[in-house]
Amino acid sequence: MIEALSRRNFLKMGAVTTGALVVGEFVPPVVAQIATEAGMLNASGDGYIPTMCEMCVWRCGLIAKVKDGRVVKLDGNPDHPHSKGHLCVRGQSGLMNTYDPDRVLKPLIRVGKRGEGKFREASWDEALDLTASHMQRIKDTYGPEAMVFSSTHNLSQVQFENLLYAFGSPNYGTQRSLCFNAMIVANQMTYGMEEPERIYDDQLQYVILTGRNLFEAISTSETGELSEAISRGVKVVYLDPRFTKTAAKASEWLPIKPGTDLAFHLALLNVIIKEKLYNESFVEAYTIGFDDLAQEVQDFTPEWAAPLTEIPAETIRRIAQEFAAAAPYALAHNGWRTSNFINSFQTQRAITILNALVGNWNVTMKASAGESSGALGTPPQPPYPRSSAMRLDGVPYKYPVVPLKLGVFQELRDNIVSGEPYQAHGWFISRQNPIMSLPDRTKTLKAFEKMDFIATVDIFLNDTAWFSDIVLPEASYLERYDPLLPVGSRVFLRQPVIEPQGEAKSALWIYKQLGERLGLGDFFQYTDEEDYIRQQLAPLGVTLDEIRMNGYVELPASEEEEEPSFTWNTPSGKIELFSDTLDRVGFPGVPTWQAPPQPPQGQFYLLTGKVAQATQFATQNNQLLKKYADEPRLWLNNSVAEDRGMEDGDWVEVTSQVGKVHIRLKVTQGIRPDCVYLTPGYGHLSKGLTAAYGVGASDSALHVTYTDPASGSQALTQTFVTIRKV
Amino acid sequence: MLRKLFHELSTLPKYIYVFAAITAFGLSIGIYRMYAGLGVTTNLSKAFPWGIWISFDLATVALSGGAFTLAALVYVLHFESLHSAVRPTVLAGLLGYSSVLVILLFDLGRWDRFYNVFLHPNFSSALLEVSWCIAAYSSILFYELSPVLLEKSRWRRFLPTIKKYTIPIVIAGVTLSTMHQSSLGTMFVIMSPRLHPLWYSMILPIFFLVSSLAAGISLVIAGATVSYWLFGRSLKIRILAKLGWFLPWILSFYVVLKFGELLIAGELDMLFSSGHYSVLFWAELIIGFFIPIAWFSFKRVRNSRILSMFGAFMIMGGVVLNRFDVTWFGMNPVDGETYSPHWMEVAILVGVVAGLITIYSLVAHYFPVYEETELYREPANTAPRLQEAPASGD
Amino acid sequence: MSHTFNTPRYGFLIDASKCIDCRTCMVSCSVENNVSMETTRIWIKETGVTGTFPDLSRYTVPYHCMHCVDPSCVSACTVGALQRTEDGIVKYDNDICIGCRYCMYACPFEVPNYEWDQQLPLVVKCDMCFSRLEEGQQPACAQTCPTGAIQFGKYEDMLALAHRMIEENPGKYVDHIYGEEENGGTATLYISPVPFEELGFPIAGTTSPAYSNRLVTEGTPLVAGAMLVGLSGAYLTIKNEKEEAEEERRLAEQTPVAAGEEDSHAS
Ligand SMILES: Nc1nc2c(c(=O)[nH]1)N[C@H]1C(S)=C(S)[C@@H](COP(=O)(O)OP(=O)(O)OC[C@H]3O[C@@H](n4cnc5c(=O)[nH]c(N)nc54)[C@H](O)[C@@H]3O)O[C@H]1N2
Ligand SMILES: Nc1nc2c(c(=O)[nH]1)N[C@H]1C(S)=C(S)[C@@H](COP(=O)(O)OP(=O)(O)OC[C@H]3O[C@@H](n4cnc5c(=O)[nH]c(N)nc54)[C@H](O)[C@@H]3O)O[C@H]1N2
Ligand code: SF4
Ligand code: SF4
Ligand code: SF4
Ligand code: SF4
Ligand code: SF4
Ligand SMILES: [Mo]
Repeated sequence: MIEALSRRNFLKMGAVTTGALVVGEFVPPVVAQIATEAGMLNASGDGYIPTMCEMCVWRCGLIAKVKDGRVVKLDGNPDHPHSKGHLCVRGQSGLMNTYDPDRVLKPLIRVGKRGEGKFREASWDEALDLTASHMQRIKDTYGPEAMVFSSTHNLSQVQFENLLYAFGSPNYGTQRSLCFNAMIVANQMTYGMEEPERIYDDQLQYVILTGRNLFEAISTSETGELSEAISRGVKVVYLDPRFTKTAAKASEWLPIKPGTDLAFHLALLNVIIKEKLYNESFVEAYTIGFDDLAQEVQDFTPEWAAPLTEIPAETIRRIAQEFAAAAPYALAHNGWRTSNFINSFQTQRAITILNALVGNWNVTMKASAGESSGALGTPPQPPYPRSSAMRLDGVPYKYPVVPLKLGVFQELRDNIVSGEPYQAHGWFISRQNPIMSLPDRTKTLKAFEKMDFIATVDIFLNDTAWFSDIVLPEASYLERYDPLLPVGSRVFLRQPVIEPQGEAKSALWIYKQLGERLGLGDFFQYTDEEDYIRQQLAPLGVTLDEIRMNGYVELPASEEEEEPSFTWNTPSGKIELFSDTLDRVGFPGVPTWQAPPQPPQGQFYLLTGKVAQATQFATQNNQLLKKYADEPRLWLNNSVAEDRGMEDGDWVEVTSQVGKVHIRLKVTQGIRPDCVYLTPGYGHLSKGLTAAYGVGASDSALHVTYTDPASGSQALTQTFVTIRKV
Repeated sequence: MLRKLFHELSTLPKYIYVFAAITAFGLSIGIYRMYAGLGVTTNLSKAFPWGIWISFDLATVALSGGAFTLAALVYVLHFESLHSAVRPTVLAGLLGYSSVLVILLFDLGRWDRFYNVFLHPNFSSALLEVSWCIAAYSSILFYELSPVLLEKSRWRRFLPTIKKYTIPIVIAGVTLSTMHQSSLGTMFVIMSPRLHPLWYSMILPIFFLVSSLAAGISLVIAGATVSYWLFGRSLKIRILAKLGWFLPWILSFYVVLKFGELLIAGELDMLFSSGHYSVLFWAELIIGFFIPIAWFSFKRVRNSRILSMFGAFMIMGGVVLNRFDVTWFGMNPVDGETYSPHWMEVAILVGVVAGLITIYSLVAHYFPVYEETELYREPANTAPRLQEAPASGD
Repeated sequence: MSHTFNTPRYGFLIDASKCIDCRTCMVSCSVENNVSMETTRIWIKETGVTGTFPDLSRYTVPYHCMHCVDPSCVSACTVGALQRTEDGIVKYDNDICIGCRYCMYACPFEVPNYEWDQQLPLVVKCDMCFSRLEEGQQPACAQTCPTGAIQFGKYEDMLALAHRMIEENPGKYVDHIYGEEENGGTATLYISPVPFEELGFPIAGTTSPAYSNRLVTEGTPLVAGAMLVGLSGAYLTIKNEKEEAEEERRLAEQTPVAAGEEDSHAS
């Protein structure tokens, strides 16, 4: 049935799937009615409704074209700073996620063995009652800390956190330590903020991208801005062991040896300090610890870095000089998924400091407004219960500078397996696929085995849901409300553009239902999603209906034209080149060289990195994306392939310390001879993903778990593999 | 009734059953093709949207050129001595064209709307010209053949009327076939970017026309000899010799034109520098043109059934290869993609050809096709039943 | 044969230096036009990775119908299912197409695609998203392209912009606007940092093959008429001659001729 459907036009296919369900249930067309009243749809139900994309965490504004109660096209919202009228390839294919024939549209309760994929459909009441009773039982038996909660950043996460804090568990797993901990903690330590905003304006002249593959790991607005900058003639230096699509557009691609970005950046600091190319007055006025830094990097010359990075000393020196000459119109980009080596935190510190030395603050970088706005209201709620239990992820006792909010997810997983310092018994997961996103998949499955109970909120039977006991189907981002999102000077609304299909419900609804069943109803004082948003909007004096049409509301301008700020939320109030905080807990106060491990003879660095046509481990089942994506393969340098008698298209076995996969080769010039690259996100275990199952291989099955002791970031490129033709 | 039918069937030559079976198989694949679409039943692709069917169509039309050549010679130019060749040639022509129409229907993605060719004509389309001409000309061939079918039937009273209009109809027919023989070449005039310069030419229509004359005449010659063997009936050798006499002239005209065109287009260097294209090109010219020109210059050849048949087959081979080159082998591949037919494409084709042979045999069996041809000997069991024709041996 | 062609009203300017091969344009087109899962109206052409490590380069560019000023496909289509509008948009009418696929061979840019997987397939071809244009929107591909590699606007503006881009960025682009002259001019224009052949673009002449086609096909009725007259003439003349000869012979009342046939009987 599904196979047959997938060969049809997808929109017609959608009609088949949903038509049957909607008719069977007589769901009143609330969305259409509201949208018509708001003037967005005409009498025959056609029109445009603004909302926000959630095919990735960038969350672009979009305008959905609706026809007869169906979404037929999505386009970027010109008013949204993240889309500026464009959507990326995943955003464009978003309606295929919503109309995916594999959507879970009713709560599921496992009937077979875990991982067998046998479920029965259940009513929401039954599924929620069962979930709540398991959670309550675990809480009563082992204490609230025996329930682990994990979720990847999304708009309803405030209420997810609300649920877990109200429940009283300290064990919270997020994607962050798998993604950007190194960058965030480095920024915290240096600037006292998570991530300064980058400014790509006309003045910009020079950008150094350290593995930030912006033309494949897409953030629509930033990708567009970088592209425009390149068109204007901005010089872009790009460091990556792999010739990515960004490398192809950069002015200069440096195929740096993995893990030595730190040496490269230390050498830049060395040249800039030695040749006095830094902005003396800025450094003087706004930073602390310059002397310690100068002292530390004095030996890290380009000549020292050259053999480590395999980039010629002259090149490094030239780039330092060019960068400084372009400053302050120069930007050293931190990168985003900075989880490459256990020295990545030091690399990140070096990059943030490079920016500080040339004084580009408020020129190419500024304090970010962030995603929370004090201007919005929140529903009232009682204080959270205190939790005295230690966190299973070792924060802060093992990872003293990792913020609680970030956590160290892989450590949490390891301690579930080890049962130390105590055994966890239940896991509540939302919008996350840890079986695939955590390194060492076998180990994650072991952690699952330790659980009495696992519930997952998702829209598909992703791998994690496949191994869960209960699956709670969320409405897709085109079918639901979420809490408001402030971006810049505006607050954006996610509103449903179609009715939820089947019985899918919003996370706001699910969490509240669970909260009430757990006796935590006081923490969820909103009658429904609209009420939640009304309470958020209350202080702004606008109503929900007033903002539907635009999809956003302008925040009241702050009193005076905001002066660019030159204070930072660090202990010293300045940019900390030397961090006392780090120093006190035993980490180097200024960045210094930490040699990364290297693969033994005959082994390769295993690189990971996004492709434009997929988001993480979540969209490989999207048939439209599948149609336009390349087959996932293992990249291997052509000369190496020749030496080993391997050819493009050959099947190879890739083996690491923890796993083994089979995959076809892509022989290319575009990768260092000491590296291989495998597209992440494929090799799904769930047969509930009919389009994705059987495609590609999983790099998570190969990744060995390494954790940077400072930032808690996992270190993915530190996994070494052998390959063998099969 | 049934028994009569069985009896009737049992009198038919056995080979017809074999061909009928092949036809049935081919047609059932054809029906599957109509049901399943082109994707699963053919190897056609974006790079090669046309395949062996079109090549077959073009080759068949070229070979069927005999019908109009002969009609022009006999009726218009009053070479009455060739008259006896008309019937079998017209029948072959009609069947050739019908098979082309059948194959075209299989080839059309929207065969269900073939009639749009008449409802929505685009007069600048060479394919439109071709389809109109072929449709009209098939009707004319049918008209030309109708006396054969009517002679022994109740409707023989129409014969005088039919005969009365034969001349204007034949003239229209000759015009139509000249038109479509050339239009088939015109179809490729628009393909300058795709077709290799060794074949591409603005005057492809003329090449096609001229070569179809040669191919058509060759078919008559070869056919006469084959039927001499099979049915013991044929045309007088004198007639064949006369036909053969035209060939060197036509072929030489073609060759001069072809090389003249290449010379003017400045493409002579490609004659040897285009790899397998050059090989194909030379194969076509040597087999179909150079050797036959010399061959048919000898009176001895023209006056021998076996020798002229041999030459005729060479010409037909060359012309058929030419049509395959223009439609398939000579098309530049796109993105390295090439084409070779799916077995179902071949099966359908073979089925249609087998059908052609079956019908030809049946018609020859029941109708006075060879009425005016000479009976040379009594063939074993394949004799046409209606043998009132005077048995005037040589 | 006096065909005049109005300049296109709209045009694309596609800049190969900006395309990052993200394929957003392809997905956007598929969704907007409900293109079946097995086909597409738009492709990415690429140079592949060239050079030697580490001096590598790679260029990509989207590729769709050129919307020719004198489109070969329109000229070729048997049933007129392809038409060029006043605005210079080459549209396809899927209600009358017979699926002969002549357009696919006729198009010098290898643009028309086909629904091979369908039972009753149709041609798949870019129609400039004319229904979006009618609603005041940009074509789906141009609207969404995250890098602005696909620009859309008035044809004159696009052409002027193309010239400006080349002039203002000396050395960045090859000095050629693909589509300005190709095939007699097209509404889709390209600029590129590498020669277009390297991107796999067809080398097209400056006049459309449609022109040659018209020369021949539009001459056909004339030739046909001439032939009818000529053949009838030939028929009558020869007939007359023969009859006269017969007459003369009869009149001469000569001795019977042995045989009118002089051919030898060889076999
Ligand atoms: N299409 C798409 N876009 C996305 C996402 C997606 O899933 N799909 N995800 C979003 C998210 S959550 C994130 S975090 C960002 C991530 O975006 P990026 O920060 O760009 O991260 P990746 O694509 O994971 O990896 C980037 C590059 O790092 C290289 N690399 C590996 N090891 C090293 C090393 O030691 N040194 C250097 N210099 N390079 C190295 C890899 O070859 C890879 O090309 O993308 C976001 N955007
Ligand atoms: N090997 C390897 N590992 C990596 C990375 C890598 O590049 N390579 N990247 C790392 C990075 S940067 C990150 S950010 C993490 C991401 O790790 P995760 O967050 O675990 O992975 P996602 O695939 O984003 O998981 C999102 C899940 O949400 C589901 N989902 C989609 N829409 C909805 C919805 O509307 N509601 C609900 N409830 N669920 C929904 C999807 O089906 C999917 O299962 O992975 C990290 N791990
Ligand atoms: S970057 Fe792409 S996937 Fe992410 S929110 Fe924007 S459009 Fe959606
Ligand atoms: S959307 Fe733009 S950048 Fe992406 S492939 Fe298409 S043209 Fe290139
Ligand atoms: S590019 Fe091809 S399909 Fe498009 S208008 Fe020109 S000839 Fe027709
Ligand atoms: S396939 Fe359709 S559009 Fe193309 S030429 Fe034939 S009838 Fe015209
Ligand atoms: S203009 Fe429209 S139809 Fe043409 S390629 Fe772009 S999106 Fe597709
Ligand atoms: Mo991430």
